[in-house]
Amino acid sequence: MKPPGETREVVVAGIGATRWGYYPDRESYELAAEAIIDALKDAEMEWREVETAFCGSVYQGTGSGHQAVREVGLTGIPVVNVENACSSGSSAFRLAYQAVASGLHDVALAVGFEKMPKGPIPSTAFRPTELQMGFNVQPANYALETLLYMEKYGATEEDFSLITVKNRKNGALNPHARFQKPVTLEEVMNSRAVAGPLRLLHCCPLADGAAGFILCTRKKLRSKSRAVTVAASVLTSGVYGEAVYQCGMVDSVKFPPAEGMVEMSARKAYQFAGCGPEDMDVIQVYDSMAPGELWDIEKLGFCKEGEAPRLLREGVFDINGKIPANTDGGLISRGHPLGATGCGQIYEVVLQLRGEAGPRQAKEAKTGLCHTMGAGPNSSIIILKK
Amino acid sequence: MECGKKTVPLREELWTASGDQAGLIGSGCTLCGEIFFPKKKSAFCPHCQHEGLQDATLGSRGRITTFTMVHQQPAGGFYKGPVPYAYGVVQLPDGVNVETLFTGCRPDEIRTGLEARLAIEKLYEEDDGTEVLTYKFVPTV
Repeated sequence: MKPPGETREVVVAGIGATRWGYYPDRESYELAAEAIIDALKDAEMEWREVETAFCGSVYQGTGSGHQAVREVGLTGIPVVNVENACSSGSSAFRLAYQAVASGLHDVALAVGFEKMPKGPIPSTAFRPTELQMGFNVQPANYALETLLYMEKYGATEEDFSLITVKNRKNGALNPHARFQKPVTLEEVMNSRAVAGPLRLLHCCPLADGAAGFILCTRKKLRSKSRAVTVAASVLTSGVYGEAVYQCGMVDSVKFPPAEGMVEMSARKAYQFAGCGPEDMDVIQVYDSMAPGELWDIEKLGFCKEGEAPRLLREGVFDINGKIPANTDGGLISRGHPLGATGCGQIYEVVLQLRGEAGPRQAKEAKTGLCHTMGAGPNSSIIILKK
Repeated sequence: MECGKKTVPLREELWTASGDQAGLIGSGCTLCGEIFFPKKKSAFCPHCQHEGLQDATLGSRGRITTFTMVHQQPAGGFYKGPVPYAYGVVQLPDGVNVETLFTGCRPDEIRTGLEARLAIEKLYEEDDGTEVLTYKFVPTV
């Protein structure tokens, strides 16, 4: 990757998003078009100024991004559909970022959108035998990792239940969240078992929706005061020897990796952005399953291994804490529209950095980080700066 | 397995022999020594990129490193076995981790660190009564 000095500065000029929810009467391209049009208006730009489009989704099928763009207007620009599991939206954002950073285009669109199939996520990121043996249950995949985390650090079910409590509390302040009702620790710990030690309220709900962004050079900006700079956008798609149960990968006994995938993506992003975890004022971390947020926070360098449960209890990750995490309620409240999830995270951090997050506004938010994980495997880090 | 029932393996070349002689079939790299399960059809080693993978019969006993009990039907209709079911990871002394279903004990008896032995068992039954067999591990409780 080229160092920042050899690429152009890229800014987020406009953002748009639907509410995250259940839309039986709307098509995915209609949701995406709503987010695109909102982002255009927010950027105070005309559609004809957009030079290229990257559209992330998982379940919408062939040419689904084209359908969305058709609703806004075909202008002859290239439209590329991006399927990269739960990191599809983040990957679309990264491609739009690259298009501008490289100098190839001045204005690019990134949109993530999804209408989720009903029931558990039908992941195909497994080999046929693994599917037939029942290894493709996402909460169960996380349960395997959760048990290892609990045994290694003495973390308890109550520890990760408190993640759900925190995120649902934040979600109650977010009018775009699918779930806007707080839950108690008792409710979480008494919810039905899904895959021991994980229960229903440790799992994020699914959701439909879309979020889109206009990325451009600083020169193309209409409103400079609201612009947010993309300080880094890094994607790491797996390292040899690391277990990722979400796609049937087990640890290599003989050749364990020197550095894990998440740690590698974080290191590269901090390096590119010229900052570190201590500089982050607000973070969006990947809580598709509640315990994941704990080890995610640790792997991203916000504290030492095994420390996150204690810091969570001390309120460090609350909205008014030192490192506000998942201020919009995370996947647990917002819901998980797979191809749009990464864009949902970016949307929240941009709002926070602009100071437009209303009752859930983190104080003095100048720099923020979004981390999307997922099958593949992928680890996407996006760092945004005011 | 009832006598006389027709059986088919879930997939060819997952295991060799049967009963106490059964062993999983993996691939071992002649250069770096890495071991893979299931076996790879190609000789190309994705660890060291050497074209030297050869079939290797793996030991039939290992230790449980992690597990869970699944209470919901997996999506997609691929899995036709019973629900709930226990699955997890067993580390074999050959130096390879294997994702596996567990059988032969109560779910609450499974612990990490327990020894487990390979068993070839029914996963589900086809409509015509044919039993589809797969590998599982039996925790020594």
